[in-house]
Amino acid sequence: MSVLADTFSDFIVQRSGARSARVIEFDKLSGGAIQDNFGLTLELEGGERPGRQAFVVRQDAPSGVAESLSRPEEFLVLQAAYGAGVTAPEPLWLCEDPAVSGHIFYVMARASGTASPRKIARGELTEDQRRHLVRRLGAELARLHTVRPPLDSLSFLERPADDDPARSRVTHYRGYLAEIDEPHPVIEWALNWLEDNAPAPGDTVLCHCDFRTGNYMVDGDELTAILDWEFATWSDPCEDLGWLCSRSWRFGNHDREAGGVGFKRDLLASYREMSGADVDPAVVSYWEVMALVRWALIALQQARRHMSGEQRSLELALTGRMVAQMEHDLLNQIPELEEAQ
Amino acid sequence: MINEPDTRDLLTEARSVLVDALVPDLSGDQKYQALMIANALGMAIREIEQREQGEPETADRLLSAFLAERQLSDQSSQGEEALAQALRERRLEGGDPQLRAVLKEMTEARLRINNPGYVT
Repeated sequence: MSVLADTFSDFIVQRSGARSARVIEFDKLSGGAIQDNFGLTLELEGGERPGRQAFVVRQDAPSGVAESLSRPEEFLVLQAAYGAGVTAPEPLWLCEDPAVSGHIFYVMARASGTASPRKIARGELTEDQRRHLVRRLGAELARLHTVRPPLDSLSFLERPADDDPARSRVTHYRGYLAEIDEPHPVIEWALNWLEDNAPAPGDTVLCHCDFRTGNYMVDGDELTAILDWEFATWSDPCEDLGWLCSRSWRFGNHDREAGGVGFKRDLLASYREMSGADVDPAVVSYWEVMALVRWALIALQQARRHMSGEQRSLELALTGRMVAQMEHDLLNQIPELEEAQ
Repeated sequence: MINEPDTRDLLTEARSVLVDALVPDLSGDQKYQALMIANALGMAIREIEQREQGEPETADRLLSAFLAERQLSDQSSQGEEALAQALRERRLEGGDPQLRAVLKEMTEARLRINNPGYVT
């Protein structure tokens, strides 16, 4: 570990133009089957960031997910989001030479607080603090969604076919389901519904695509950083709103649709105020259904990583047994939406 | 072959030792891992219990009847595969209440093993 700490420290000294650095703290951070994240606190002398500095170093882990961005791509997405005023960790330096640490990695500023859904959704925030946080989430998404194609720096991101994110997702997901060697009639049924009820395509914007409680940091009741940008792509703004509100990410607080923290009406009101866009709640609900299908497919893929022996893991195995929950939610939510129409 | 105590008994006892005697002293990642093991054992126990009780498989019966009625039974594929394929090929009306009842029963049967608390 200390060899790695010195490697990263030397890299930061060189990139920041510091005269020297002392490692104060170095540890592997939890979370991330796809990446390894390390916390590194340095005392830097001179250079562009002198003094005590807390960094996070993010590098590829042995197992990857096909859909996710590479580290250099993620770094560029983070730069675009940060540049648009999103509260994301400040992206600092990218190392594309795998000879340095054995992997490609980048360094970002470390945010304070916790990302634990248990502490955020099930913690002791007051009703006012919860509303404040949810409004903040809406405002952050509105800022992120000001980033729009075409953008030279993000030319590696594929635009949805026919600029129709919903139908293009359905096509994609049918492909994923076809690769799973197990029948899932409920998912087939839900994909048909998503195809038949796809909203007219709206704006195409930069979406985070994993924007949920657990992927942002909170210190007290202040949001300090939005994390985990590896699934970002061009899509419908309502995809991010729907993913955040999906029943799968409420952590037991089912009546609090916005990430298990607060209410959808506050989220959408804040989003509207910041973006000036008129968001149709029915379209957000549609994307909540899409979110259930997507999470079910990811869970099936994760279980297969375990079953194939590629990555034996009890956590991945149990994730496979969660699919019936998403299917149950689909069977409840779709009729609810039909009744509301 | 008589081999007692039986598997269900062994797993049930193993799970309660884990949950009652070990978990309270654990924290952080170790506690998380222990709870995952307890969860997996719980599913195995419930699966064995269902088999022991010879619970009539409502879901299977509903599915067979549904497929037969719509002449979708096909010897070359299992019931769920036949249903999935018929949906994929759009040979079924998604709003059909009988279809939805079959899907619901199949899903609830799985949840009774995987996470009984989820069926409300």
